[in-house]
Amino acid sequence: MFGKGLGKGLAITLKHALAMDITIQYPEEKPFLEDRYRGSLVYQYEKCIACGLCIKACPNRVLALETFVPEGSKRKQVARYTIDRQYCLFCNLCVEICPTATLYFSHDFELTQFRREDIKVVYLPPQPSPIVPAGIGGTEAPPEAAAAEPAPAPEEADKQPAPPPDTAEGAKRERQVEAMQAALTKNPQKILAKLVQDEEAIELLAAMLGKDTKLSSKLAELMIADRDKAQKLAAGLITKVRKASAAEEVKTDEPS
Amino acid sequence: MLQTDEYTINIGPQHPSTHGGLHAEALMDGEIVKDVAVHLGYVHRSVEKIAESRTYTQFIPYAARLDYLASNLPCLGYVQAVEKLLGVEVPERAEYIRVILGELSRIAAHMLFVGSLAIDLGATTGLVYCLRDRERIMNLFEMTSGQRLIAAYMRIGGVSADLPEGFITAVEGVISDLPKMVKEYDGLITGNEILQARCRGIGILKPELAVAYGVTGPNLRASGVPYDLRKADPYGIYSRFDFDLPLGSRGDCLDRLTVRLEEIEQSGRISAQAVKDIPEGEIMGKVPKVIKPAQGREVYHRIESAKGELGFYLLSDGSEKPARLHVRAPSFINLMVLPHISRGGKLQDIIANIATLDPVLGEADR
Amino acid sequence: MERLILDIAHLLVSWLTGRGMAPVWADLLLLLLQWGTVLAIVTLNVLILIWLERKVSGFIQERLGPNRLGPFGVFQTIADTLKLLTKEDIIPTQTDRWIFKTAPMFFIIVAVMLYAVIPMGQDMAIVDLSAGLLFFISVGALSTICILMAGWGSNNKWSLLGAMRSVAQMISYEIPLAFSLLGVVMITGTLNLGEIVKAQDKVWFFVLQPLAFLTYFIAATAELNRGPFDMPEAEQELTAGAYTEYTGMRWALFFLAEYTNLVAVSALMATVFFGGWQGPLLPSWIWIIIKTYLIMLVFMWLKWTFPRIRMDHLMSFSWKVLIPISLINIVITGIGIKFIQGMGW
Ligand code: SF4
Ligand code: SF4
Repeated sequence: MFGKGLGKGLAITLKHALAMDITIQYPEEKPFLEDRYRGSLVYQYEKCIACGLCIKACPNRVLALETFVPEGSKRKQVARYTIDRQYCLFCNLCVEICPTATLYFSHDFELTQFRREDIKVVYLPPQPSPIVPAGIGGTEAPPEAAAAEPAPAPEEADKQPAPPPDTAEGAKRERQVEAMQAALTKNPQKILAKLVQDEEAIELLAAMLGKDTKLSSKLAELMIADRDKAQKLAAGLITKVRKASAAEEVKTDEPS
Repeated sequence: MLQTDEYTINIGPQHPSTHGGLHAEALMDGEIVKDVAVHLGYVHRSVEKIAESRTYTQFIPYAARLDYLASNLPCLGYVQAVEKLLGVEVPERAEYIRVILGELSRIAAHMLFVGSLAIDLGATTGLVYCLRDRERIMNLFEMTSGQRLIAAYMRIGGVSADLPEGFITAVEGVISDLPKMVKEYDGLITGNEILQARCRGIGILKPELAVAYGVTGPNLRASGVPYDLRKADPYGIYSRFDFDLPLGSRGDCLDRLTVRLEEIEQSGRISAQAVKDIPEGEIMGKVPKVIKPAQGREVYHRIESAKGELGFYLLSDGSEKPARLHVRAPSFINLMVLPHISRGGKLQDIIANIATLDPVLGEADR
Repeated sequence: MERLILDIAHLLVSWLTGRGMAPVWADLLLLLLQWGTVLAIVTLNVLILIWLERKVSGFIQERLGPNRLGPFGVFQTIADTLKLLTKEDIIPTQTDRWIFKTAPMFFIIVAVMLYAVIPMGQDMAIVDLSAGLLFFISVGALSTICILMAGWGSNNKWSLLGAMRSVAQMISYEIPLAFSLLGVVMITGTLNLGEIVKAQDKVWFFVLQPLAFLTYFIAATAELNRGPFDMPEAEQELTAGAYTEYTGMRWALFFLAEYTNLVAVSALMATVFFGGWQGPLLPSWIWIIIKTYLIMLVFMWLKWTFPRIRMDHLMSFSWKVLIPISLINIVITGIGIKFIQGMGW
């Protein structure tokens, strides 16, 4: 009969109108990201051996590497490593080819910048000065310095005398991370309160971390390195747990 | 007698329902279409030329950008072409993974087809439901490769990484929900009388015309020609799977829709079999570090993509980079029948025809 | 409560005449005041409606709809209006300027005029015309001309095509619309909307005249240019149809007028088929608001479920299905009335 299909369609839309909405309210609620999610490419200065394989592997000339050989040493060192994110295809070829796992994709997907120059990320050797935060491995140079020339000019290398990677600093950080992890396992609620406000969320997260040591060590590391990122990770985890429990609730509700 | 004039009307390249930069110039008599001319090239990225300046491996992400709605399929076609060129063996497990991802891509592409047809005919909600379901497949892609839309997961000789934990269960979950999803589309979209009235008997593509033009894929099968490369010329391990070819009888817009809806279920069937049989083992074959096929070797490899027969022609000059790559893009060829099936119809039928021919402009323009 | 608004009006008039104003002037002032109220109601209604439509479409599509500005996002429309107001007013050079500029104004004027006869509560029509229904139908038909003006003035093929479609559509749906109301008129024997409402104190006409109601409902959807009959601005085919060239506030006026029409037509439907302002407990003017909004929710539900009908199907549906049905309805009603009279009930 004419109109049956119409009625069926109306019934379907009505059903959905009354059902739960699936929107993730983005800036407050972070989407759950899978482990392999390719957010943005990150480079760790300490690990790089300046072999240049990644440069060759990249299809879109996103990466650039400048090296120099410090006096009294035979090993090449990185003077500047540039990732021009705007051209990245997120293909993972550079990550796969890197022999030392220097490059990896972080979960940070908020890559928007106000100025085009800011899209480019430049990694320089760690400076001894205290201003430079011990970040993931380098600092972002101001845009003027970012005009990367492929020629590794020796004068430029003079201007930026690169000390050997700061091992003392690294060790200190490792200690910090360890301490943080211990604290996380001992009293998760207190530590997590720094990341999340919601009481219930803290409980959820604490339960989750108790089960998964890998996760807690990751969180601890992030808390030392980058509080913001840790917060994001925590938020993402909470959304995931909530979603899962909500789905379970729905499932258990249905038959009754 | 009133004197009437024919006039042209430009559908696209900036138009809500041309699926990208398609420009169809319609010659109209009132609301009746006299002729349509398809102008292409608005998203031309010279992909084939780019291939000549990239190594064989480096081209993979570009291949994914051909048919960005089912990115695993063009990738698969390309890497299989290179493997043929090199004579590389692909491990069993990788083959199964490829089948699963390929079929999931097909499902995703068809879901988008259903949704975009719905919105092109004015039913916005249909699109949203289809996108919602497609999102689950996108999540699966995110699990495997970390990329959702344009996944560069295939590698020459295998796949880039093994399946993550929990992937198989997730796939099974999606597959088991497929019938439910299709039922919903049936209720909201296919079963709707208004939509049926707009699609039945519209844009009839005769089998002879389709074959003459080289139309392939669901569009051809909707015209009743049982031709699917997965059966006609099985590549990879497709000969091991048991599935049916949904066929249409009239070759109109409604057939093109129902054929795709049925294909969603068939693809689900194939993936279910693949998931069941998938062996443990390697995921990468023995591939030389530097890929340099012998000079003068050439190969043409074709697969059944979501849109039809997707072929890659590769010619090697003995260097790391191909001397020539040609893509036989099904979208491009399928689009060429648009004038034939639109003539004599109404203006609104052009929209339905474009939507059901399902071109993806990234591939048509390359 | 019931007579609250009426009392205020009477008080005002008597206060003014008591101060020595001639009754004519006082009445005129009251009329102006009434129009002002109508305008305010219309604008407020549209603001709420646009928000409601977004919410409804959001819920249907498993989204949340606007939810940022104010509680449940109610102020979103206000923000959008502000945005539209600040937009540049672009008038393409090749347009027929006068027609192009005045079309939206006429459209909104026509839409507001519809409110003159709708009884918004017991004895609360602005003008209690004895031929109210006729007025409503004929003024409603005027909006066709405004869309044609917009389409013609834009000097754009898409616009013209959209306008032509809408003229064809509105003219052919005008007939079943009027015919479907005829059944009710035959029963009540009056064109006055207040009388029609009073005639429904026992049974609503939607029960007595189901066929007429169905025809009216479909024809009204078409008259309103709402999905699934949104031909004039069929976005997927005609970009935005007759409104393609309009920007900023001019475009917003069309939008405003369409929603104003929606309210008016729904209110008429409530009046003619659902007992108008009649209802228990609550004051009459609340009842009509409730009924109107429920009807509009159904309109939205339809729009967000169905695809658009093809132009020629639309026309043949009107001429081959709706008009015969409404004619049959008139015949049946006539026989029924005669039968009842013959039985001497
Ligand atoms: S992900 Fe691909 S495109 Fe991006 S930097 Fe790595 S190799 Fe280059
Ligand atoms: S491949 Fe890895 S180690 Fe080599 S230069 Fe690139 S980042 Fe450094």
